Amino acid sequence: MPHLAVSGVHANYGALEVLHGISFDVDRGGIVSLVGPSGSGKSTVLRTLVGLTRATRGTVEIDGDVIDYRSARAIRAARDRMAIVFQQYNLFQNMTVLRNCTLAPVKIKRRPRSEVEAEARDLLALVGLADKADAYPDELSGGQQQRVAIARALALRPDILLLDEVTSALDPELVGEVLDTIRRLSDEGMTMLLVSHEMGFVREVSNAVVFMDAGRVVETGSPAQIFDAPRSDRARDFFGKVLRH
Amino acid sequence: MDYTWQFNVVWRNFDVLLQGAWLTFQLGVFAFAGGTLVGLIGAAIKTYGPLPARLLVDVYVVFITNTPALIQIYFLYFGLPEVGVRWSSEACVLIGLTLNAGAYLTLILRAGFLSVRTTEMEAGETLGMSRLQQIRYIVVPHIAKSIYPALANFFIVVLVMGTSVGALIGVDELTGTAINLSTVNYRWLEYFTVTAGLYVVLTLVASVGLALLGRWAFRVKARIV
Ligand SMILES: Nc1ncnc2c1ncn2[C@@H]1O[C@H](COP(=O)(O)OP(=O)(O)O)[C@@H](O)[C@H]1O
Ligand SMILES: [Mg+2]
Repeated sequence: MPHLAVSGVHANYGALEVLHGISFDVDRGGIVSLVGPSGSGKSTVLRTLVGLTRATRGTVEIDGDVIDYRSARAIRAARDRMAIVFQQYNLFQNMTVLRNCTLAPVKIKRRPRSEVEAEARDLLALVGLADKADAYPDELSGGQQQRVAIARALALRPDILLLDEVTSALDPELVGEVLDTIRRLSDEGMTMLLVSHEMGFVREVSNAVVFMDAGRVVETGSPAQIFDAPRSDRARDFFGKVLRH
Repeated sequence: MDYTWQFNVVWRNFDVLLQGAWLTFQLGVFAFAGGTLVGLIGAAIKTYGPLPARLLVDVYVVFITNTPALIQIYFLYFGLPEVGVRWSSEACVLIGLTLNAGAYLTLILRAGFLSVRTTEMEAGETLGMSRLQQIRYIVVPHIAKSIYPALANFFIVVLVMGTSVGALIGVDELTGTAINLSTVNYRWLEYFTVTAGLYVVLTLVASVGLALLGRWAFRVKARIV
């Protein structure tokens, strides 16, 4: 059974449908990457999974359990298991790095502060920021903030991590450190759904690649198959453009 | 112009003036605190509430900000007893000032609500926060920081201008006390000179206190004076 199963998901912004039936699976401990042109709906897929955008049709299952997005409680339960990291990090600017990571586990999940703080410090060490616990987000570089955002997401002990273009707001020399963090999480067995334009990285870490265009999945396959032998013209066009530069 | 200043009588009654200043300070602090709570609720409703509630807040703000504070307090003190509601003059000033400040603070805080990055709130939402928790942990600290200077200025307005209205319905705050004492001793010039000085001291104390509080609580690097 796949860890995360998405089938036939449609979603709208207002009256405009932007996802027209999206389906793919992610196995436990696997990494699946969503790639495709800008505006093809990759972010909307991730937003729909965590209930920020409402699916109008289709189902999302975690370990075979269908998430009922009409129920606030079910959405909360889903968010306990899936954490999302945004392109623009979206850290809480008024809190220190440590508090960014501990706020939700302590105040929302009511776990003991000392235990949560110890765990958060371990996570900050994992993303290479052990010495920044008391800094504020505006005192950090973009790459550091993005790694804090990953630590903050992990502090809720999710089973599944959703990463939306986590490197595209970063200067090129900062990309590597974030990718290293993702590699490390993958080694630890985290299930991940990745939206990325770092094609080299996608190819290296993904178990499967989902190519999207205009709100549809055009093709799905292994990285080698999608990158080296795309079946669709759309994919060939797209990779022809992005892989050339 | 051969007026002879005589401060002796003022110094003899200085403790009474100080009591008045203390009451002014208390009225200012409580009215501002109450007004901040009202303004926070008003601004939250204006930003996130359903349409009927938003309209209600609009009506409240329009009525309060377009009528003199004196009329509002007269309404409570002279008007309400006609329908059997009788509050002390202190209570009327406190309630009146709270409602008055609440309307202005709704407007001030609303600007703060609008400046919150919605992406931070979405992040909070995906971390499992309810709307109220997002307001408490993300919106309020953000607003406190971003509009702290405006808030601090408004506190001075409430403290100095707001509370002195109390004199007109017999509250012995600083202005009222000064008027009372002057009417007995006929040393208007001396009493009001000293009273003005006391107001300046009050606002200075309040400004320094607020600046220190801002630095400590919200990392606001406000100038002290
Ligand atoms: N908040 C929004 N309101 C209306 N339309 C949106 C909004 N966000 C995205 N869209 C539209 O939805 C489509 C998919 O967007 P998105 O999921 O962000 O694509 P991607 O992440 O692949 O670039 C685009 O056509 C985009 O213009
Ligand atoms: Mg996107």
